[in-house]
Amino acid sequence: MLTFYTNDTVLILEQDQLEEDIAEFIKGQIDPIRFKAIRVAHGVYEQRQRDTYMIRIRCAAGGITPRQLKKTAELADAYGSGEVHFTTRQEVQVHDVLIENIMNVIRGLNEVELSSRGGGGNTIRNILTSADSGVDPEDVFDVDPYAIELTTRLINEPDSWNLPRKFKIAFSNNSKDTAYTQATCLGYVAEIRNGQKGFRVYCAGGMGAKPMVGHLLLEWIPDTQAYHVARALKVMFDKNGNRRSKFSNRIKFLWKKLEQDEFVRLFKLEFDPIKDDASLNLVLPDLKNEAKSSNLAKNPAQGDDYELWEKRFVFDQKQAGLKSVKVPLRLGDLLREDADSLCDFLAEMGENNIRCDRAQNMRLRNIPEAYLGNLYHIIKNMKQSLVQYPPFLSNMINCTGAQTCKLGICLPRGLSDAICERLGKSDLRLDEISDFKVNMSGCPNTCGMHHVADLGFFGKIGRKEAEIYPSYNVMAGAHVGQDGLMLYAQRVDEIPSKHVPDFLYDFLSVWIEDKKDYAGNYQKFLDEKGKDLIKTLCEKYRFVPTYEEDPEMFHDWGRDRRMTMDDMGTAECSAGMFDMIDVDKKQIEEMIKTIETVENKKETLYKIIFHSSRMLLVTRGLESKTETQAIELFAKHFVTAGLVNDRFQDVLTLAKLDLKDELLKHQALILDLGQTVVDLYKNMDDSLRFKTEKTEEIPGQNGPVVKDFRGVQCPMNFVKTKLALETLKSGDKLEVLLDNGEPIENVPNSIAQEGHKVLHKNKQAEGHWSVLIEKV
Amino acid sequence: MNLTENQIERYSRHIILQDIGGVGQEKILNSKVLIIGTGGLGAPAALYLAAAGVGTIGLVDGDVVDISNLQRQVIHFTPDIGVLKVESAKAKINQINPDVIVKTYAEFFTADNALVILKDYDFVIDGTDNFPAKFLINDACVMAKKPFSHGGILRFAGQTLTHTPGHACYRCVFNSPPPANAVPTCSQAGVLGAIAGMLGTIQAAEALKFITGVGELLVDRMLIFDAKSMNFRTVKLKKNPSCPLCGDTPKITSLIDYEQAVCDLKKG
Ligand code: HEM
Ligand code: SF4
Ligand SMILES: [Zn+2]
Repeated sequence: MLTFYTNDTVLILEQDQLEEDIAEFIKGQIDPIRFKAIRVAHGVYEQRQRDTYMIRIRCAAGGITPRQLKKTAELADAYGSGEVHFTTRQEVQVHDVLIENIMNVIRGLNEVELSSRGGGGNTIRNILTSADSGVDPEDVFDVDPYAIELTTRLINEPDSWNLPRKFKIAFSNNSKDTAYTQATCLGYVAEIRNGQKGFRVYCAGGMGAKPMVGHLLLEWIPDTQAYHVARALKVMFDKNGNRRSKFSNRIKFLWKKLEQDEFVRLFKLEFDPIKDDASLNLVLPDLKNEAKSSNLAKNPAQGDDYELWEKRFVFDQKQAGLKSVKVPLRLGDLLREDADSLCDFLAEMGENNIRCDRAQNMRLRNIPEAYLGNLYHIIKNMKQSLVQYPPFLSNMINCTGAQTCKLGICLPRGLSDAICERLGKSDLRLDEISDFKVNMSGCPNTCGMHHVADLGFFGKIGRKEAEIYPSYNVMAGAHVGQDGLMLYAQRVDEIPSKHVPDFLYDFLSVWIEDKKDYAGNYQKFLDEKGKDLIKTLCEKYRFVPTYEEDPEMFHDWGRDRRMTMDDMGTAECSAGMFDMIDVDKKQIEEMIKTIETVENKKETLYKIIFHSSRMLLVTRGLESKTETQAIELFAKHFVTAGLVNDRFQDVLTLAKLDLKDELLKHQALILDLGQTVVDLYKNMDDSLRFKTEKTEEIPGQNGPVVKDFRGVQCPMNFVKTKLALETLKSGDKLEVLLDNGEPIENVPNSIAQEGHKVLHKNKQAEGHWSVLIEKV
Repeated sequence: MNLTENQIERYSRHIILQDIGGVGQEKILNSKVLIIGTGGLGAPAALYLAAAGVGTIGLVDGDVVDISNLQRQVIHFTPDIGVLKVESAKAKINQINPDVIVKTYAEFFTADNALVILKDYDFVIDGTDNFPAKFLINDACVMAKKPFSHGGILRFAGQTLTHTPGHACYRCVFNSPPPANAVPTCSQAGVLGAIAGMLGTIQAAEALKFITGVGELLVDRMLIFDAKSMNFRTVKLKKNPSCPLCGDTPKITSLIDYEQAVCDLKKG
């Protein structure tokens, strides 16, 4: 029976362990962080809903057999959402699994030799290939056998399971690079030289919030060395990768750190000694693209609708008489009953006939032409699919987003439905742009692959005054395949989520009109016209009313309530936060630049104080409801805490008390505050901590040392006064500024009790006190 | 002054103390304390020293956590059963105070490793539960000129003294360990768990006093208490000229592992 990989029996033991760990976790005997590390390695991820999980199932080369898929759907029905989800990583997932059912799913998968081991965690992830490899008339050669055998080899090597970070591998069947080899840790592109099969090898690419394009590692290797390269890179990564930081430990960061020469040297150190060892060569499976003979009755179809379907979704294979067929899924989800009818039919046709593709659709292959009618009827009768729409719509990619993902800001699934609704029923000639890629992610993490889209969107927090609304960054300009050079899409502008469908309508109607003039060259269109068009349209849709005027703008697609900060999960991956910071940073920089020309200077100065105060609050897990509160929180957590110099206290207090007229006198200081906060942000390391910043001592050259402890509560003001005194010599003087009330009543007494002399206390015009102390 | 804002807040109740202040707290942060035995005495001592910010805490114990330990060894929790005591303790210390560096020695303190382990520490806490170990710690510390706190508990009673170089040692008072099995150990006689807490925290306080130079240590004195009557008393001690270890004509010149009661080998 065909399988796309083989697991070691050790796996069963590991599953027993997982079962015990789950039981202990339920009893509260394992802490959640530890449990997370255990389950993620088994491809079990927690969803946004507590105690609900998704299980990611390995499908090497995107392959799964009808028997396996049917079983997966049955498990999804019994223990999950009732749907099998096809992902951009060419695997399938079961969603909404309650903790007590995890083992039922995992053990059920064993029955059909499927496994979720390595679905997550720091290991060899699902190995991808071009979805039509082996049947594509433009195949250089079929790369699936390599992915399949490499998977079995690598997942059964113990040293694959504790790498510094995940390790992604992809194979493309030709230079169109549909497997995005330059956006992955290790990528092979099929290329024949002098009659010998082989690969160009790229490495150290990756999408994610910090995308990097891969580099050419080896001009060309004979196909017999495919394993040797993977092995060498794995060992090299294992030895040199950064294990301390969770966020910058992918191979791409290692390349960046070491730079090309050193990286290649270290790789060669591992590769050269083994590269000619033929005993390591992969023993490729004989994967046949053919149909078995079947007694199934044919069910022919004809008519306009059948022909339209065939034109849209059926493709010729390089094997004469066989067809490949795209099953357009809604949001990548396949319902149990649809899976049943498809798999029952497919099982009749053979085993090697399903692939997952990168656009969350199901690809069928090796279908005899004579049976296309049967398939047409089955697909047309699916309870849930996008078969009634042009392929453009099912080719859209979206991550799961805030619906299940804790990191999600927006809900791309809701948006995707809204786009289908808006465009599917419009007059746009979408059949002319079937290959156009609209990819959407709910946050900067690229699970929806917005970096390789023709138009990409990724969720961001929009801000209107103190309110937040769902919004997307718009990306364009990706360049994949055409002869090696890959470019990621760049951000062009941003647009409120609610306007994306209208925006797309406007944009695409221009592109569809112009496509002929540009001879289909989208890059050229973008450069000459498209990017400006995006900006113009974003401008058109930029306006956001207040919540009272139009609450709808604050509800994301697919969510019936407004977005709140609570929706953003804990900073497991802290992206998303950066957007919020960016909003304030831009404002500050803009206002500093234009301060001399603004109409209402005092209001602008006030805004600078407000944005400076709010900008970094989120890094401390703080949220402000009002402007005043932002200023208060900033004073406490940044100024009092010593991250920002005390000298700004005065202007903060003035702003807090809304004494805006006073601000004019302190313009220089306020601009300085803005710049200080922006600089502080630059100093932030990846863990959102600050590298520097202790308040500078104000040296008492002529007079006493002065310390401003206004805003510091008891007893911390006393503690700090004591510490300040400790740095002085006996007889030195210290002046401290204290708030009225408790501070002035307590601190001088406590200081006196320690034997120091309180020389005098002086009430200041602003209401605080200045206290002069002499150290004993 | 190198305290961070965070540390200033964390240790504010120390800093406020006139005798400690920022300077004293920095001494604590730079200090290194070795705790031998992570059981009834070592557990509370480790908790308080960690909270206080002792820069480096060394933990010596070869045992794993047993369910019978949990009645008094408060640094170990039920899920830790079967885990090495030093690892279990280290995990808790890390949670209490990330400032603290914990070094673990998952072995018993013996004549062979004693001096090697001791050498990096400023102060030693004897948290062991058997006489051979207590004598070994005494001998090793006297030889290595390391100050240490001795502690012992049984049933409802506790006793403790602090040794600093040049002052009375444990052997000045008790010449040699009692024969194996002659004196019951906790595992045979039982102990009220809270007694371990009382004594262990006294030992922690002695360590902090030594580090900061505050107050008078239990040097040349032994504190004895009985929790049934809650009577505390201190007995004066003198350095004994005929002490076999630190006396005028010492007979002990190398470290000895005394025979240990059989049951002690199993139960900590
Ligand atoms: C640290 C933050 C994360 C980064 C940088 C990241 C990155 C990516 C990338 C680059 C892809 C797909 C593109 C590819 O390589 O083929 C992907 C896919 C995916 N990621 Fe993530 N990811 C992150 C967090 C998560 C989380 C927290 C989840 C959910 C628990 C998640 C779930 C998925 C899923 C389900 C896919 C497949 C997409 C689909 O078809 O639904 N990711 N991720
Ligand atoms: S892109 Fe963001 S929102 Fe979407 S699944 Fe990935 S982490 Fe979640
Ligand atoms: Zn002595």
